Amino acid sequence: MTDEAHHAPHPTTGQYVKIAILLAIVTAVEVALFYIDEAVDMAGWDGPLLIILSFFKFVVVIGWFMHLRFEKPVLSRFFAGGFILALSLYGIVVGSFLVGLVTR
Amino acid sequence: MTATAERPSKTIFRRPETTEGFWSWITTVDHKKIGIMYGYAAFVFFIIGGLEALLIRIQLAGPNGDFLTAAEYNAMFSTHGLTMIFLFVMPVSAAFMNYLLPLMVGARDVAFPRMNALSWWIFFFGALFIYSVIFFGDVTPPLGVEGVPGNIDPSEQTLLGGLPDGGWFLYQPNAGPDFSPGTAVDFALLGLQILGIASLISAVNFIVTIFNMRAKGMRLLRMPVFVWMSMVVAFLLLFSLPIIAVALFMGTFDRAFGTLFFQAAGGGDPILWQHLFWLFGHPEVYILILPAMGIVSEVLPVFSRKPLFGYAAIVFAGGGIAFLGFGVWAHHMFASALTPVAQAAFGLSTMTIAIPTGIKIFNWLATMWGGRIRFTTPMLFAIGFVAMFVIGGLSGVTHSIVPSDWQQTDTYYIVAHFHYVLFGGSIFGIFAGLYYWFPKLTGRMMNEALGKTHFWIQLIGFNLTFAPMHWLGLQGMVRRTWRYAPETNFGPWNLAVTIGAFTIALGILVFMFNWTWSKRKGAASGLDPWDARTIEWTIPNPTPHYNFAENPRVTSLDHFWHMKYDEDDEGRAVRKDNADEIVAQLDYDGKNPKAPIHLPNPSYFPFLMATGLPLIAYGIIFHEGLAGKLLIAIGAVITIGSLLGWGMEPLEEPHGGGDHPVEMAEAH
Amino acid sequence: MADVIEATETHAEDHGGHGEHESFGIDNRKLGMWLFLSSEFLFFGALITNYMVYGNDTFGATVVPREIYDIPFTSVSSFVLLMSSLTMVLAHHSLAAGDQNGTRTWLLATALLGSIFIGGQVFEFYEFINVYGMTLTTNPASSAFFMLTGFHGAHVAIGVIMLMSLFGMSRRQGGLSEGHGMNLELVGLYWHFVDIIWIVIFTIVYLLGAV
Repeated sequence: MTDEAHHAPHPTTGQYVKIAILLAIVTAVEVALFYIDEAVDMAGWDGPLLIILSFFKFVVVIGWFMHLRFEKPVLSRFFAGGFILALSLYGIVVGSFLVGLVTR
Repeated sequence: MTATAERPSKTIFRRPETTEGFWSWITTVDHKKIGIMYGYAAFVFFIIGGLEALLIRIQLAGPNGDFLTAAEYNAMFSTHGLTMIFLFVMPVSAAFMNYLLPLMVGARDVAFPRMNALSWWIFFFGALFIYSVIFFGDVTPPLGVEGVPGNIDPSEQTLLGGLPDGGWFLYQPNAGPDFSPGTAVDFALLGLQILGIASLISAVNFIVTIFNMRAKGMRLLRMPVFVWMSMVVAFLLLFSLPIIAVALFMGTFDRAFGTLFFQAAGGGDPILWQHLFWLFGHPEVYILILPAMGIVSEVLPVFSRKPLFGYAAIVFAGGGIAFLGFGVWAHHMFASALTPVAQAAFGLSTMTIAIPTGIKIFNWLATMWGGRIRFTTPMLFAIGFVAMFVIGGLSGVTHSIVPSDWQQTDTYYIVAHFHYVLFGGSIFGIFAGLYYWFPKLTGRMMNEALGKTHFWIQLIGFNLTFAPMHWLGLQGMVRRTWRYAPETNFGPWNLAVTIGAFTIALGILVFMFNWTWSKRKGAASGLDPWDARTIEWTIPNPTPHYNFAENPRVTSLDHFWHMKYDEDDEGRAVRKDNADEIVAQLDYDGKNPKAPIHLPNPSYFPFLMATGLPLIAYGIIFHEGLAGKLLIAIGAVITIGSLLGWGMEPLEEPHGGGDHPVEMAEAH
Repeated sequence: MADVIEATETHAEDHGGHGEHESFGIDNRKLGMWLFLSSEFLFFGALITNYMVYGNDTFGATVVPREIYDIPFTSVSSFVLLMSSLTMVLAHHSLAAGDQNGTRTWLLATALLGSIFIGGQVFEFYEFINVYGMTLTTNPASSAFFMLTGFHGAHVAIGVIMLMSLFGMSRRQGGLSEGHGMNLELVGLYWHFVDIIWIVIFTIVYLLGAV
């Protein structure tokens, strides 16, 4: 997050509504992907796509609705720290169980 | 308190105003009082945990001991671990942090004074809740293993045998509903959950205090090392407690509501418990040791009369230990079904922990090197810490070599290792801190002769207790086993260990006598008894309740030292004036010294709110009856009700007891 | 690492110049809330891990969560929760603009949407238990499912209680003061956080099913 972001004006009501509409559309796309994968097998492409889309929603809610984009960078560092720590630790745990399933 | 015409606001209760007597302790939000309560409570549990250890040692003094039953022995080693870790070392560290953090950063209180009180009361009631197992707990024999020697008929349950008996790690499914059917383990699971809430609140509070409440000019790299280590500990707590919270919920649900998370017979996987437990459990060991490292980093420079060598390196090494500490948890699980790759990876990551730890050790040694060392009691304990911790650290490195670890797993070698780091480390550091800051607390000095006696008795007793455990462990003596056969030849060393344990107890008795005596009769300490370096010594002893008469300003690391000393041409330190003179001339910002000081007002709500949680916990344990359901409801109403009352109560009454112009005048 | 600390430092001195303390220039309560929320990642992470490990663990039972999800229904309740984030941010926005009526309306709307979400979850649980016979104790997969979504639901419920307390305060004379503005912001942060956790749960648990 740059200093520019810090001084950027806060969104207006109209912008918030637009962001919400965007989020709603992404959610609709996600659900659609689910059904498309049911109908025609997407050969494993649905998983990464869904994860990318939900991560996009995740970032938008944090950045705009939670105002993190407009806060001091130190808050982003803590928050990202918690998220990345959780992701790495639990990634290793889940990974070790998956490996266990394969080798069992 | 100053008399003011206006009465404090009224929400549910009249705002408490008293600053003396029983109610002042119940309603206080003063970090110093909270710290003192934390400290005394922790010490009571230190005694209890110590007595449990002595019972264990009596049982093991000779082969085929028959002092305890197997069930009692299981309960003793489990509650000894739980008590020492969660009810002694953690709260006593919290006591130091509570008392010292605001003083060291130059603030009048922590960032959230009422939450601080809440944290303490939640700890207090959580600790009472765990030990209330004596009245409510029962241990029924595990399913299908009646008649196994050591398992007892419920009618023969003894007082001690009714304590939680699943180990401090509460491994599943041993601590699950099938193998520990009574309620004893529920008390441990839910009690730890409650203590976790207390620690989480403290962690947030301390981080915000350190970030936002520092005196003017106290940049992050001018903070005392104890403050740094407290911050690191707070982050470790912040990120590791939620993990154990989930694990404890899962364990509780397995026992109370029949979920199948860890019940191998129902498809659950006990290894998941090990992962979640040690994801928390390994950061936890750094939570136990880092405050002591902080204390030692304060004590060594003062008595070596040199600045701390490699301040920044020690600070970053502390952060590094914490960071790496999150990545080594599986070395507690080498004997479980980990893949070879995972074992190699975690073995390597464990070895890397030695690097930041080594940096600290060498910096401490370099601090002492060439210094004019004064061998006072706090200094002796600090040196003892360094020496004993090195031994414990080295045996720790041997665990990182996986095949070697398999050999050591579940033997007394492990017991020796973690007592060298936790007793030789944490507890020696804690005693260094107690002797060092006693004048801050009381305005008196602890007796040096008794203090040194205590140190030497404890050092000898400690090594007599835990050094032979290395050898016993390598010879194959297994942990958590209530007796051993005479043919093993474990007898002689075990007797030595038991004698050592009683020697430690003698040392602690000397300390208790010294503390009680010195509190009343100790020599007056004056302002700066140790020729200290940090700003908590610029205010009178004992600390006035408003801490700093004026908000201090800081211009350097070891600020107080630089106020007292100049350098001559050859770079030697030259005393400017005595400390009292220097402090008397302090004029931080030229403010009117009689300006009123605003302190947060006492409150009933933290105490009240904390009573709700154990009620809910009792309710969960006895949820099958009507009484249990009622307890959950009452506990929830108390908790939510006091939260609302709290939300409506201002932190400082606009014209209440928070102003202290009178004492201000006295202070100058 | 030293750079990071120095960088933060400069920042602290830029903004801490006015108060009595050296600080990061962030309100204490707000900093505390962000710290708490960062730790909540570890909390929900453990619950999600739990579900990912056990999601396929039928252990002989005939019914697993992933086979009985009602995706259209859950999509609607996900949408409801997502929109409650919008109403929440509008409540905050209104208060900042001094619009007390707007604040009240949007607070109530947020609480209402949250309650609809909880209602949907209750209905889902009811269906799973009574129609499909999948309870908390059927198999590790069901245990993990109920534990994860249940704890999330509990978080939403606590959020609704906080919103209603704020709504109650806003109806008193003069509405919410500037001091309450921070309370509203904190509740808002919590509320959005609960929403982002649901975004993750909806994708990982419902759409992707179990790993």
